[in-house]
Amino acid sequence: MTLVMPARTDGKARTRFSVRAFLPAAILVFMVAVALAAPWIAPFDPLDQDLLALNQPPGPEHWLGTDHIGRDVFSRLVMGARTTLLVGLGGAFAAFVFGAGFGLVALSLGRVSEAILFGAIDLVRAMPGVLLALLLIVALGEGVGPVTIALGISFAPFFAYVARAIYHREAAKDYVTAAQLFGGDPLHVLRVHLAPNLIGGLVTQAAILLPRCIVTESVLSFLGLGSSPDAPTWGRMVAEASRYIELAPHAILAPVLAIVLLTLSLSFFGDNVRRTLDPLREEAGS
Amino acid sequence: MTIAGPRLSRRMFMASTAAVGFSGLLPHVSFAAEPARGGVLRYATLGLDTADPHRHTGSIAVQQIYAEALTSIAADGSVEPFLAESFDISPDGKTYTFHLRDGVTFHNGDVMVADDVVANIERVKSKVTGGWLASAVKLVDTVSAPDARTVVLSMHEPYAPLANLMSELWIISPKSEGWNETIKTPLGTGPFKFGEWQPKVKLVAPAHTTYWRKGMPYLTAVEADLRDDVDKGLALRAGDLDIAYIKPDIAKQLATDPNFKVSPLKDAAWFFVAFNNRKPRKPFDDPRVRQALSYAIDKNAFMKFAAAGGGVVTNQMVLPGNLYFDQATHDADAHTKANLDKAQALLKEAGVDPAKETIEFVSWQETYPQVIVQMVRKLGFKVNHVALDDIGAQKRLGQYDWDMNCMSSGPRADIFLRYVRLMSDGPNPVLWGGIQDPDLDKLIKAAVAEPALDKRKALYLAAWQRVMEKYYVVVLGLSANQIAMRKVVQGYEPGFTWSPNWGSGGVAQTWLAD
Repeated sequence: MTLVMPARTDGKARTRFSVRAFLPAAILVFMVAVALAAPWIAPFDPLDQDLLALNQPPGPEHWLGTDHIGRDVFSRLVMGARTTLLVGLGGAFAAFVFGAGFGLVALSLGRVSEAILFGAIDLVRAMPGVLLALLLIVALGEGVGPVTIALGISFAPFFAYVARAIYHREAAKDYVTAAQLFGGDPLHVLRVHLAPNLIGGLVTQAAILLPRCIVTESVLSFLGLGSSPDAPTWGRMVAEASRYIELAPHAILAPVLAIVLLTLSLSFFGDNVRRTLDPLREEAGS
Repeated sequence: MTIAGPRLSRRMFMASTAAVGFSGLLPHVSFAAEPARGGVLRYATLGLDTADPHRHTGSIAVQQIYAEALTSIAADGSVEPFLAESFDISPDGKTYTFHLRDGVTFHNGDVMVADDVVANIERVKSKVTGGWLASAVKLVDTVSAPDARTVVLSMHEPYAPLANLMSELWIISPKSEGWNETIKTPLGTGPFKFGEWQPKVKLVAPAHTTYWRKGMPYLTAVEADLRDDVDKGLALRAGDLDIAYIKPDIAKQLATDPNFKVSPLKDAAWFFVAFNNRKPRKPFDDPRVRQALSYAIDKNAFMKFAAAGGGVVTNQMVLPGNLYFDQATHDADAHTKANLDKAQALLKEAGVDPAKETIEFVSWQETYPQVIVQMVRKLGFKVNHVALDDIGAQKRLGQYDWDMNCMSSGPRADIFLRYVRLMSDGPNPVLWGGIQDPDLDKLIKAAVAEPALDKRKALYLAAWQRVMEKYYVVVLGLSANQIAMRKVVQGYEPGFTWSPNWGSGGVAQTWLAD
């Protein structure tokens, strides 16, 4: 038997069309589609250099111009969407696994394991996310994998705290007590009964954290600590173009606008997800 | 042979300047106006690693504001007397006699005497390990002070670079705090004192009022900006700096701005590709593969990019016009342009399928190595490019777990300081792949020990020919580092090295027009 507390009861509100809900989702779908189809969309190899056409303005051949090594900005922007989204999504997922996954298992196993794990998480939380990610990259090395793991560890506490709050709220409810009285062991109760009721809050948290992961990835790339130095990522494009902002403003404008658009869309999207799934807000009548 | 100075004709200075960089953009140095006194010069080129001048690890610009040596390097690269007013070299090249200048005082007011100089040489010999200066001083048998103004160095073998290298053996008062271990407050003889130092931030150096060059310095103080994460070009334009080291592309922009003067250092930085020579893995231990990789590189295109249109494409570590430059070798350079067909043929001959090989490529976090990486990729190799900061790159290169790099190395006081990095036991050889070649060592040692200039040049050239044949290092070209200054800065012209103070020029004679 599985007991699930419905997240929302207002079916009308969920199906109502809203520009605020639709536009961010549409932009996100568009960006994901562009990232997936990047190799077919990009007119040039994003690594190809034309040393005779440095910092060229937008034109018929190079739609968004070229950068300081003569690389096609549009191709790098399109291909960079892949890395930026991959690392952002991967970082958020890793944070979900590290924070919510381990957190919930520790909570289910009792107060000792909770105290130990959350003590460690408090230590991680004590450091600013970007600084911790920097330290982890120094330890793990550069590249997409280490950056993803570093983001995951840095943002894991956010999931862990949310998971703990929701867990304690749900664990005090009758359906959990009933499941325990029926003889369910802690992990069984977590997996079968609690998890379906926790997932809404955690997905909301993921949607809120995703833009932070993307911005942090961009910051790390800006600092030269992301992936390979010539790999196109939006953060690195901003960093490289910043030296030539007077000569070639287009080269910095394109990735900056892309980052702003993506993070704003994700923020609105996260907010919409929270409004839709967060049982607490629903109970409060919001 | 006796060498006395200082001397630098304007014609010589202009001629040497014209050889490098933005030669058509020479500054308008004022020789006529009466220097104004006062003002603080805000200066930013390199950093300052340590307060102990004898223990420097590479950044050797700022400390020369407060520390001086017996000799210095003139704008044309020749050695000129500095704290010594002249020096003699015996015919066998083993004995150097330095005649000290009269009236030189340390920053604590003490007069510099020969015993102070002897103490500095002994300190470097006994307390400093590693570095080219230490290895040179270890060849000194005896150092003595027959009188208060004479210092005699006796070497157990001839050592031609000594006079030039003495320009980096800074004479500090033995009364300096930390003399027996690490000097914390150096008492030098320079035109400015070691004032307030905030590592990685700034050094404020107030004027030395009893400086030996009468009437100098004109400035009240020099404030050296030591931050390495600032956009110096922007700071210069914002009026936050007076003199700054800037990248070639920024130099090109500022050179057309009437509010600034842009001028190169007179020696150039050399750009090169080096292979892992100490622990090469297959197939990069095969000279044919190295040769193929070299044929993938378009040196002309690279240098145009790296030097923003300036620079010189060559296969040697010095500029045309330099004493050690060999025109015939330059003319025979097979790698001025890329030849992918020849590269592919060489790979085929070596039995290498580039698609199956990944090159571990290490560089600093600069843009120019990306150009080389992309050129190499065109040959079909996969490249794992790792770009690191200076310390990280040195550490990684020292592990010898890489295949190829692209680096540059700046001006040096003597050609030997470039060759010594190619020796099996050379100091800090990692940028050049840690060459282990006894035959090359012999050639360089023979050159160092040869007092006759023509023979020395021939020996150095033979050593360089061996480096090229073995494809240890492939020179891409040379480009002068560019210094920009606000127009109010008068009397300053960049020298041969990074030094901002030398016998015939520098901050001692610099003044601000407003």
